Amino acid sequence: MLSETCSAPVHSAAASPPPEAVLTVVHVEKSFGDNHVLRDFSLVLHRGENVVVLGKSGSGKSVLIKCIIGLLLPDAGRITVLGQDVATLSHAALDQLRTKVGFLFQSNALYDSMTVRENLLFPLRRHWLAHSPAEEDQLVRQALEDVGLAHTAGLLPAELSGGMRKRIALARTLILRPDIILYDEPTTGLDPVTAREIDHLIREVQRKYGTSALIISHDLNCVRLTADRVALLVDGRCYAEGTYEQLRDRPDPVSHEFFA
Amino acid sequence: MPHPTILASTGALTHFAGRFFREVVRPRYEVQEWLYQCYVVGYQSLPLVGSTAFIMGLVLTLRLRPTMVQFGAESWIPTMVGLTIIREMGPIITALMVAGKVSSNIGAELGSMRVTEQIDSMEVSGTNPFKYLVVTRVLATTLMLPVLTIVADAISLYASYLGVNMQGVTTLALFSHNILGRLNFSDITAAVVKTFCFGFAIGLIGCYKGYYADKGTEGVGQAANSAVVVSSLAVFILDLLAVQVCLVLGIA
Amino acid sequence: MSQRTTHNYVRLGLFVAVGLGCLVVTLYMLGQQQRLFNRSILVQADFRNVSGLLAGNNVRLGGIAVGNVRTIEIRNDSTVRVTMRLNQEVRAFVHQNTLATIGTDGLVGNTIINLNTQPGPALPIGSGDVLPTSTPASFETMLGPLAASSTNLVAITHDLRQMTQRLNGSQPLWQLLDDRQLAGRVRRSLGNVEAATGRLSTASRDVQLLAQGVRQGHGAAGYLLTNKALGGQLDHAARQLAGTSDTLAATLAGLRHQLQGAGALNTLLADTAFSRQLRQSMHSVELGTAGFSRSMEALQHNFLLRGYLRRQQRRQQRAQVAHQP
Repeated sequence: MLSETCSAPVHSAAASPPPEAVLTVVHVEKSFGDNHVLRDFSLVLHRGENVVVLGKSGSGKSVLIKCIIGLLLPDAGRITVLGQDVATLSHAALDQLRTKVGFLFQSNALYDSMTVRENLLFPLRRHWLAHSPAEEDQLVRQALEDVGLAHTAGLLPAELSGGMRKRIALARTLILRPDIILYDEPTTGLDPVTAREIDHLIREVQRKYGTSALIISHDLNCVRLTADRVALLVDGRCYAEGTYEQLRDRPDPVSHEFFA
Repeated sequence: MPHPTILASTGALTHFAGRFFREVVRPRYEVQEWLYQCYVVGYQSLPLVGSTAFIMGLVLTLRLRPTMVQFGAESWIPTMVGLTIIREMGPIITALMVAGKVSSNIGAELGSMRVTEQIDSMEVSGTNPFKYLVVTRVLATTLMLPVLTIVADAISLYASYLGVNMQGVTTLALFSHNILGRLNFSDITAAVVKTFCFGFAIGLIGCYKGYYADKGTEGVGQAANSAVVVSSLAVFILDLLAVQVCLVLGIA
Repeated sequence: MSQRTTHNYVRLGLFVAVGLGCLVVTLYMLGQQQRLFNRSILVQADFRNVSGLLAGNNVRLGGIAVGNVRTIEIRNDSTVRVTMRLNQEVRAFVHQNTLATIGTDGLVGNTIINLNTQPGPALPIGSGDVLPTSTPASFETMLGPLAASSTNLVAITHDLRQMTQRLNGSQPLWQLLDDRQLAGRVRRSLGNVEAATGRLSTASRDVQLLAQGVRQGHGAAGYLLTNKALGGQLDHAARQLAGTSDTLAATLAGLRHQLQGAGALNTLLADTAFSRQLRQSMHSVELGTAGFSRSMEALQHNFLLRGYLRRQQRRQQRAQVAHQP
């Protein structure tokens, strides 16, 4: 039913020399039984760039992001992160790669039984990034200051509000100084004001650390505020790609549905 | 997960157990987390298990007394209560209490971690969640249940001693002599081996139910609930098996 | 985590130490009790019947557990060889002539082996020695003569009653007796004999009933436990037996004395065939009661009735004490 796909522009973008591609997704397919979630999806993320994948709920956005981080294996296609093919990596190499890729879960995934400080230290310690206690303190403080919650180190996640938890989750991602951050619906479940704060925070992180970000969202405000580029995910394919304004002004009914 | 049949879920559980045995021998070893789980399973269950054991020992003794007096076999009360507790009631009651407390706890904890993507988050943070969550907990229940049972037996026997002394006088020396006189090494070893199996089943089922919890908070509740039900049932089935195995091996 | 303090690990360590400590202490005490850590000697004994003895049952010397049964094997159609383990330290007290018997430990207790030291010189026991044995009379074999005795008694008392009736009814006999006092005494004695024999026959019937009940296969203990009425019956029977045999003995002694001592009557009676018959009857009554008391004595040695009879004795003593002042 759809004739227009975005695979061609992606390839041309990857071919142009100046922006370095940190993440490429090529012809990825993934299905659960009869449910074909991703069919021939392709996307490129360049260094320092924020790309938003916009799609309806249940359209396979989360599946895409989990394939990228190696939590799910795609049925077909290739995913390259920082030059390494995720599917072929050994467990140790995958762990190594994951230190450079941050993942902000939709539900934050803060460990309930640990304090904020311990939550932040968890990835640091688990990745064998040995640090002296003083250095650990410095890193935790820095990460918490980046998200504006320096005073919460001793609290448990249950004692925080939704927006604070999102920030802590972001701080936990930032503490490893990743090259790429994957945001899984960062504003879902937040009130508009808090959501806008998070959007600004995403921008700020991009400016401060020069990280690239792949953001999964169906929240138009979030898309407008954070995206350098937007990819429309429809029926498991990349339906269209461009800036927020370009896509908003597209005349076809499928794009229109998203921006109505 | 659709509604699996009993056979299918038994198969899945066996597969889960197989994965446990594969992972338990491979490094890296999560010693810290394991010790903490031992503390949670062992030490923190102690008040519950201890009070249950105390009540059981006392009630058993007081209940048995009228019947034994009728038969003129009052002096057999310590022996009967002692053997009952050490062979059967101690392990079973402890296992059931731990199944109720710990198995549901594990089921709910892992279930909510699954639902809120904490398990995925661990994987992304360079941690094997199976090792960090499942192996440590199953090992903790397996090793702590025998210790809990021994302590519960001791408490229970002490309660029984108090019960005997409520209506008569028996010295501690005579009391322990009565029990030890009829006790065999095989009684104790069989009971201890049995509790290892109980502990393993409780931990494994709790972890299995939690680890594969369905999405949503309902899944968490379901995981906790079915963890208790299935592990309690498993305790009884294992106990039946243990009795049969003991009979076949000629122990007791 | 916040709760993962060293403090908690110390608690965990304490908890595990206490648990394992309990286990170790129990195992050690169990070993001590079963004397696994002591040196021991093995001795043997051959029995015809071990009455359900099991490996692990106690061996007692003078009522003290000094070892346990190791193995039980059938050697041939009439011998069961029991190997028992005795503690090294009791070796000095067990001689080669020490008698091994099978016994029971309480009413519903386990079968045990009793070692009874015998008088006379003998060497101390050594490893592998075979002890002499004796099989004590079982409850069953004790009941046999008892039942037979009581059957005899019934017959005898029947005879006796007939005779006393005839004696009583024989007018010429009484007329011949010049000594009124003696005649009165003999009359009284005969009346006593009649009453006593009546009681004796009911008592022996009771005992027969008991023996029958036991024979029906309930087993002695089982029968006593299940049949409450029987307990009462037995009580009654034994009390009657005790009383009756006492009276009977006294009466008979008195009668004989009178018969032998009183010249006129004695001469008179000595000549008649009737007198011989009477003497014979008296003799068989004596024999019967003797047999009866032997059976009673055997019963007294049986554990089942021991307690009861002891109580009985005490009660009698108390009654006597009460009567004396």
